[in-house]
Amino acid sequence: MELKEQLLASFIAFEEGIDQKNPVHDKRVAALAYFEENGFPTKKLEAWKYTSLGKILKENYTLYPQVETSIELKDVKTYFLYDIDTYKVVFIDGVYSPFLSDTTHDGLDVCLMSAALSKPKYAARIDKYFGAVAPATDSLTALNTAYAKEGAYIYIPKSVVAEKPIEIIHFSTGKNAPIWLQPRNLIVVEENAQVQILERHQSLSDAPVTTNSVTEIFAEKEALVDYYKVQNDRETASLLDHTYISQEKNSHVSVHTFALGGNIVRNTLNFYQKDEHIMSTLKGITLLKDQEHTDHSTLVHHAHPNCESHQDYKGIFGGRATGVFNGKILVDKIAQKTNAFQQNNNLLLNDKATINTKPQLEIFADDVRCSHGCTVGQLDEEALFYLRSRGIPRKEAQALLTYAFASNVLDSVQLPSLKKRIEDSIAKKLGVNLGFNL
Amino acid sequence: MSYTEEELKKELESKEYEYGFYTDIESETFPVGLNEEIVRRISQKKNEPQWMTDWRLEAFRIWQQMEEPDWPNVNYEKPDYQAISYYSAPKKKDQYKSLDEVDPELLETFNKLGISLDEQKKLAGVAVDIVMDSVSVATTFKETLAEKGIIFCSISEAIQEHPELVRKHLGTVVPPKDNYFAALNSAVFSDGSFCYIPKGVRCPMELSTYFRINQAGTGQFERTLVVADESSYVSYLEGCTAPSRDENQLHAAVVELIAQDDAEIKYSTVQNWYPGDKEGKGGVFNFVTKRGLCHTRSKISWTQVETGSAVTWKYPSCVLKGDHSIGEFYSIAVTNNFQQADTGTKMIHLGNNTRSTIISKGISAGKSQNSYRGLVQVGSRAKNARNFSQCDSLLMGNACGAHTFPYIEAKNNTAQIEHEATTSKIGEDQIFYCNQRGIDTEKAIALIVNGFSKEVLNKLPMEFAVEAQKLLEISLEGSVG
Amino acid sequence: MLQIQNLHAQIEDKPILKGINLEIKPGEVHAIMGPNGSGKSTLSSVVAGNEDYEITQGEILFDQESINEEDAETRAHKGIFLSFQYPVEIPGVSVTNFVKTSINAARVAQGLEEMPANEMLKKIREKAALLEIDSKFLSRSLNEGFSGGEKKRNEIFQMAMLEPKLAILDETDSGLDIDALKIVANGVNTLKSKDNAVLVITHYQRLLDYIVPDYVHVLFDGRIVKSGDKELAKELEAKGYDWIKAEV
Repeated sequence: MELKEQLLASFIAFEEGIDQKNPVHDKRVAALAYFEENGFPTKKLEAWKYTSLGKILKENYTLYPQVETSIELKDVKTYFLYDIDTYKVVFIDGVYSPFLSDTTHDGLDVCLMSAALSKPKYAARIDKYFGAVAPATDSLTALNTAYAKEGAYIYIPKSVVAEKPIEIIHFSTGKNAPIWLQPRNLIVVEENAQVQILERHQSLSDAPVTTNSVTEIFAEKEALVDYYKVQNDRETASLLDHTYISQEKNSHVSVHTFALGGNIVRNTLNFYQKDEHIMSTLKGITLLKDQEHTDHSTLVHHAHPNCESHQDYKGIFGGRATGVFNGKILVDKIAQKTNAFQQNNNLLLNDKATINTKPQLEIFADDVRCSHGCTVGQLDEEALFYLRSRGIPRKEAQALLTYAFASNVLDSVQLPSLKKRIEDSIAKKLGVNLGFNL
Repeated sequence: MSYTEEELKKELESKEYEYGFYTDIESETFPVGLNEEIVRRISQKKNEPQWMTDWRLEAFRIWQQMEEPDWPNVNYEKPDYQAISYYSAPKKKDQYKSLDEVDPELLETFNKLGISLDEQKKLAGVAVDIVMDSVSVATTFKETLAEKGIIFCSISEAIQEHPELVRKHLGTVVPPKDNYFAALNSAVFSDGSFCYIPKGVRCPMELSTYFRINQAGTGQFERTLVVADESSYVSYLEGCTAPSRDENQLHAAVVELIAQDDAEIKYSTVQNWYPGDKEGKGGVFNFVTKRGLCHTRSKISWTQVETGSAVTWKYPSCVLKGDHSIGEFYSIAVTNNFQQADTGTKMIHLGNNTRSTIISKGISAGKSQNSYRGLVQVGSRAKNARNFSQCDSLLMGNACGAHTFPYIEAKNNTAQIEHEATTSKIGEDQIFYCNQRGIDTEKAIALIVNGFSKEVLNKLPMEFAVEAQKLLEISLEGSVG
Repeated sequence: MLQIQNLHAQIEDKPILKGINLEIKPGEVHAIMGPNGSGKSTLSSVVAGNEDYEITQGEILFDQESINEEDAETRAHKGIFLSFQYPVEIPGVSVTNFVKTSINAARVAQGLEEMPANEMLKKIREKAALLEIDSKFLSRSLNEGFSGGEKKRNEIFQMAMLEPKLAILDETDSGLDIDALKIVANGVNTLKSKDNAVLVITHYQRLLDYIVPDYVHVLFDGRIVKSGDKELAKELEAKGYDWIKAEV
């Protein structure tokens, strides 16, 4: 059976395991209908021009495993920010792992989506926020909504500063292989509250896994949210990630995406500015090799005056890897004094790698400062020679320059432990051990 | 009290499209509608050889199976292709041998267009081919050119006189199946210009074609083919106007350029088709396919100043097939009132050491929408490709839009591509500064816009540059700084 | 030539000028000094006709006629020139082109023919030499990428070309090194005649060593609180503005 049919057919079985009287269920039904009508996106859609899902849709997936699988912490420790204290919401093959998690309800909620969806005390908030920023007209998002059941639920009340970063980690074990996962996260950060969140998807075997994930983030007035996505998965793991962010007055939200590997990775990242004096930051480092494919599709919708957005994506592509950057800045007529900046720089390391980039500006207001820049190039041979003439071997010299190329994206990372980890990952991916910190 | 922007707007809105007159010339027009029979009749009317008729019919069949594209960032009511007449020609006795034989009404038209076909142009060194509605009506200086072996004539004439050249090149750069409008054009084109520059010849004068849609209810489908043989050079100018009419007129042209090894073609366009009135009524739909093929060490340079048309859909492109070939695109697109433009270029890097430059200046005013859409593609075997693109938008007033859609596809690690885009407006401080130096607001806007567009204006041949500057001023009338 | 009578002006409902009285006669050099925020630049903007400011009371007369309602370009045509504190950049428009447009706009307004190209060229060369301006400079885009000194020199060059009756120099000395200051001052002095006048607006006395004023006025909180000769400027330099504040 085709995956689409299989997904549609299994909805009845899925419904049996959940409370169908819950108002969220109406949203699920409507979303399923949308998915049924529109199916999986194809390259005919402008937004999917450079990414084909054909390859990953062919697998015969297990759709929603229910079995709890346990893994030893020591085997997966390296995927956590183990050197600092964090809250953790961990899933194994889509199922919550209480053993690996460290949740809280003490002054803030770091817990499960399934609990938030079913317990009455969360009902008002779920009603207000669930599906409120995720567009109803995106097929993969609709598919996720239809099966939305599990994921992380994070609530930071007014003026609370989350003292520890929060890690949301999804492991897949390969025991149910191949597997199709659909986590759904909801993050509400109230007025003047602050939080740092890290999200990671990690496959522990070479069995195929595809994750169709949706995260909704609501930043209320004056809220401060730093969100980090670490994507450094195996070549059999694909990720279709959707992050939708709604921002209120004076809020600052930043999302850093470190795309360091995976099969097909698609990052849809949309910011919707709902009031004035908002700052949105989007940064990313993409470092790919072999057959890896990463597609960043960003949107910043400036719908009110006096807001800013800042985008900076660096891409480094080796092997037969393909990178896509499709960034859009949309400035409404009313959004005067918008200051929007977008930069996308790419390095191609060999003649088999490909970069497709399309930085777009759609501007309907006249008193704005909007610019984008985009480059494709190579490492500076002269700089390379200079380093080598000082005794640094070619490979290390290349790594150093590549790191320098991407490093300003790391400058804004607020978690030193994470920064160090990313630096190590980059060095590892570049195949060097520099013996000193980058 | 001072002259307000509101007053300026009012005054300017009342200014009419300067070229909106209609010439009362007796003409022969086909009934509306399109079918194989009409295609045959066009071919027959032009006394074409069988291969040409077959080529058209094949294109017509392809067209029937295609759908009108809707990906450009423009909104318009799609034309009813069965409500258009596909052939309209000024009635004539025979081929004109000299200008003396040309209908005085027609010559008057050209005078109004500011095209003088007299000695002045000879001194300026411009040879002109004029296409009115569907048919080429006059080509000047044919003999001077013939001495150098240069062929410059209407495409109909070329099909008769130089069938081997036409047959060899026609449709090689823009095949009929390329897109909907190219297929339509291939089926029904009624005239256009043909130019051939022999090996090693540097064309001594600017070659120029003026296109004009005159008759109501007709579409214009001209076809231009320029072949520059090895080591030759030609500079080609194209100008367009149309009468003011309430209904929309369709213009679907195809231009093919072929630059053989070491050749250079400079192709400049000043497009001023009727843009519709200030309510957005009427105006020309300008759906044009222009593409050039560059062989080794050759160069094709497109320069365009686009101020007219209600809807424009146009991407003059370069296929850089030969090693060391160069493609350039310099564009100014001005939209005002309800105009919509989706224009840009494609630079396809296939050969080694190819270079391309894109400079695009978009100016939006009124309620118009102005989009740049460009593609820079570097093939996996194209070593050392270089591209630099710069797209700047200037917004005037708060009811218009400026959009940038650059596509960059690089498959080779020796490619170096740089793209930059900015969006800005005319600052009130700039206007006040000019005012203080005695320059009024209207003139100040013109000055600033000219400055903004300078890099492109500089690329135009001298006599065209002056015309283009004037056109910019006229086009921006009614806009607010 | 210029008479300002009880001038009150405001920007966005905030009063800045609160009753200025000043008369400048042909052949005179006046200097207006004052601390930051006293309204010096506002005064120059209002006289030049910047519509961001609203005149709420009083009269500006130029050659005995009120110019309150005239727009900026008409005032320019009448012979008022403002050397901007922060000259604006206009990309793509060369200095030469701009000056040509400017001169011809004034000539057309006065019912004259446009200036013939050769005459224009000669004048440009002559004035450029006076201000030690290189010809390459003239083909650069107006003020784009100019250093502070180049911008100010360019302002005085335009003044030389336009030959105004009244030149208002708004903080022309700011951003100038001593050599540039001398060149600018020399330019101004050379152009000075019995028929024209100069109004120098400055925070410091430095420029007044080179462009020597006949009268010095101290502007404070939107009013001229003290007037005198060039000695007043020296006194201000030595004592600062605080003693004036104390006096007021």
